[in-house]
Amino acid sequence: MRPVRIWWSKAGRAKYISHLDTVRAMTRAVRRAGIPLWYTEGFHPHPYLTFPLPLPLGQESLREPMDLRIETDLPDGEILTRLAAALPEGLAALEVTAPVLGPGDIAAADYRIYIPFPAPEEAAAWTARAGERLAAGGLTAAKIGKQGHRKVEKEISLSALLSAYRLAAEGSAARLTVRLAAGSEQNCNPALLLEALDAPCGAEICRTGLLDKTGAPWR
Amino acid sequence: MTGKPHEPLLALVQKPGRYTGGELGSAQKDPAAVALRYAFCFPDTYEIGMSHLGMKILYGLANAREDCWCERVFAPWIDMEALMRERGVPLWALESGDPVAAFDVIGFTLQYEMSYTNVLNMLDLAGLPLRAADRTGLTPLVIGGGPCACNPEPLAPFFDLFLPGEGEEVSGELLDLLKAHKAAGTDKRSFLRAAAQLPGVYVPALYDVTYQPDGTLAAVTSRDGAPPRVRKRVVADLDGSYFPDNFVVPFLETVHDRAVAELFRGCVRGCRFCQAGFLYRPIREKSAGTVNRQSRALCDATGYEELSLCSLSTSDYADLIPLLEGLLAWADPQRVNVSVPSLRADNVPPALLERLAKERRSGLTFAPEAGTQRLRDVINKNITEEQVLSTVCRAFAGGWTAVKLYFMIGLPTETEDDVRGIAALAQTVVDAFYHHPAKPKGKGVQVSVSTACFVPKPFTPFQWEPMDTKERLAEKQALLRGTVRSRKISLSCHHADISLLEGAFARGDRRLADVLEDAWRAGCRFDGWDDQLRLDLWEAAFAAREIDPCFYTARRRTFDELLPWDHMDYGISKRFLRREAEKAYAAAVTPSCRERCAGCGAERLSLCEAKAGSAGSSSG
Repeated sequence: MRPVRIWWSKAGRAKYISHLDTVRAMTRAVRRAGIPLWYTEGFHPHPYLTFPLPLPLGQESLREPMDLRIETDLPDGEILTRLAAALPEGLAALEVTAPVLGPGDIAAADYRIYIPFPAPEEAAAWTARAGERLAAGGLTAAKIGKQGHRKVEKEISLSALLSAYRLAAEGSAARLTVRLAAGSEQNCNPALLLEALDAPCGAEICRTGLLDKTGAPWR
Repeated sequence: MTGKPHEPLLALVQKPGRYTGGELGSAQKDPAAVALRYAFCFPDTYEIGMSHLGMKILYGLANAREDCWCERVFAPWIDMEALMRERGVPLWALESGDPVAAFDVIGFTLQYEMSYTNVLNMLDLAGLPLRAADRTGLTPLVIGGGPCACNPEPLAPFFDLFLPGEGEEVSGELLDLLKAHKAAGTDKRSFLRAAAQLPGVYVPALYDVTYQPDGTLAAVTSRDGAPPRVRKRVVADLDGSYFPDNFVVPFLETVHDRAVAELFRGCVRGCRFCQAGFLYRPIREKSAGTVNRQSRALCDATGYEELSLCSLSTSDYADLIPLLEGLLAWADPQRVNVSVPSLRADNVPPALLERLAKERRSGLTFAPEAGTQRLRDVINKNITEEQVLSTVCRAFAGGWTAVKLYFMIGLPTETEDDVRGIAALAQTVVDAFYHHPAKPKGKGVQVSVSTACFVPKPFTPFQWEPMDTKERLAEKQALLRGTVRSRKISLSCHHADISLLEGAFARGDRRLADVLEDAWRAGCRFDGWDDQLRLDLWEAAFAAREIDPCFYTARRRTFDELLPWDHMDYGISKRFLRREAEKAYAAAVTPSCRERCAGCGAERLSLCEAKAGSAGSSSG
């Protein structure tokens, strides 16, 4: 049994595949690829295949991790070639590495966001307003959380979860790059930030990378 | 697919994966390089349509042609439809994202009468006139197939043609003909006349229908050279016929999300209520070797972790045990589960039950269909209480604790004793569990009884029978509820309103087309969904056209009445059906086709006849 980390990307209409559906699609792709998955032992054996940080529905990503355990020492290059050939449109296999850090070490994620407007003036006006609000701090959002089994709405501070951003208008669109807290302790979906900034529908969100607590790429 | 008008809607609906396409195994072609664009429409949600084997076969077959690009279209759910209408986005096909109205062929599979309003809704969302007469161009050609094509009369004005029977061969012939006519620039009228000459093509516009003063049919007369009776098409040799070596693998979880192996078509049993048992005759089995080879290719290509055997009665497959041995030899090491549905309670081999026990995940399901032996004899469901009990006892010994039993209410000749018999049989199963020495320790038993309302269907011995009224069905359901005593038995009854509408359309004639269109205009769609059915709108639509649905449901037809589907020839003779009906009244059973040929007439549907032409012999 050998643990491997497979890096993959999601683009185009594949962004409408939910997290759970992505897990199923990846499991089937690995099976089609003939990659010998290691199965858990016990009464209901299942393959060991996990996603350290789920990607929300409707968002693209340049580089996502998937951890799995395989039975033999199939070389990394062979795993990559086989999986790449078995993936459906929009999902691509990029690299196979040995896992270095654990899922708990994910601390932040970078996002690239494209917000289209009907006209350049509207893009400029929104960008100016959003820029002021980002600079002022104190942005909040309502988030549904759990308290035991009960669902409770709580207010979270977006500004505290946001560590860097760049915002500019460009023709009839606004471009926002932002680093947000991510992982099991604190996590901020960029859609919440866009909502707090009154961004119009139709923004394109792409996750560009994951970072550890030191700000270095999560590996 | 970027920049398509429907793209902005995707972020605003539930389950956008229903509408995006791009799944593994979906066909991508260059629209400029094909002569024909074919939109294969399933008039229900993605999750239901993507579970359907027939669509997978015909989709693969059409795309195996280089000159044709076949794409999938499903009924948009309510939320998506509202957005499409609000923003003026026409219905699109999943593979290309192109609007359906621009396709050459729009083919609907008609699996269920309650999807008819969805058919109209999809034509309208595509921006097309509903009525065939108002679509004057050669294309798009609107065609229909599937089991409901055996009596397509309520849909006749909306369709250009129907393909009764199996579609594998005739759909290719039709595409060839359309391609030639399109190239020659002929008009729709000449094309339809030519199409009517193909065996197994029914062009409803070429048949004039007249009625008697009492509302029954007077005559159905063909013209312009169309055959007086249209004989359904059958594939003679399943081993040699096309079966896809790849499925479109959905991202969303669909109802049946797995690889499927088709074991045989037709059924040897002849249960008198079962339309499928007569429509798909004659019985034709695929060899175990072919099933094994196709299943393995399919699992390899899709990565599916489950393979399901598909037929009307799996335990009747002649080589079931050798087949399972062959399948499990590779499926086990590849961790593919083999599921074996549609088992009869009287002939499940003990070895199979042991094998199933190993992978048990759900309960075991049997369909006694009726509560007493007398009524089971009437419907020719040749299963005895002893057979049910011995099978469930073996199942208990194998560790099962949940049993599902399917029944029907409203069967011909049914009495209150028969209804009480359903509860009694369920109770007997509960008692058998507690008296069983090898029952699983420390567990209770759960018997789930599910009752459907019997709907008489064309091409069955009960095609002349009245259907129970709503009141009668409600009384019988209440009686059953009052008879069930044990908390180990859970009871669920099917919605009688839906069954009555289904009954009207199943045996309906062309006059129902107006009611259908009115009901759709009033807002009816997804009528088969309990939470969507608008009975008030349907009742108003029938009333406005002064049509009493009871004419179609609750009326006993005489054996010599001309029926709306009599000009369709499914091989089964009317004489045979009448003989079976008379035997039913006498509670006399008919043995399975394996034991003795009952003379149904389906043997006439051999390969040579399909080639010779569809001018059917008059067998009525």
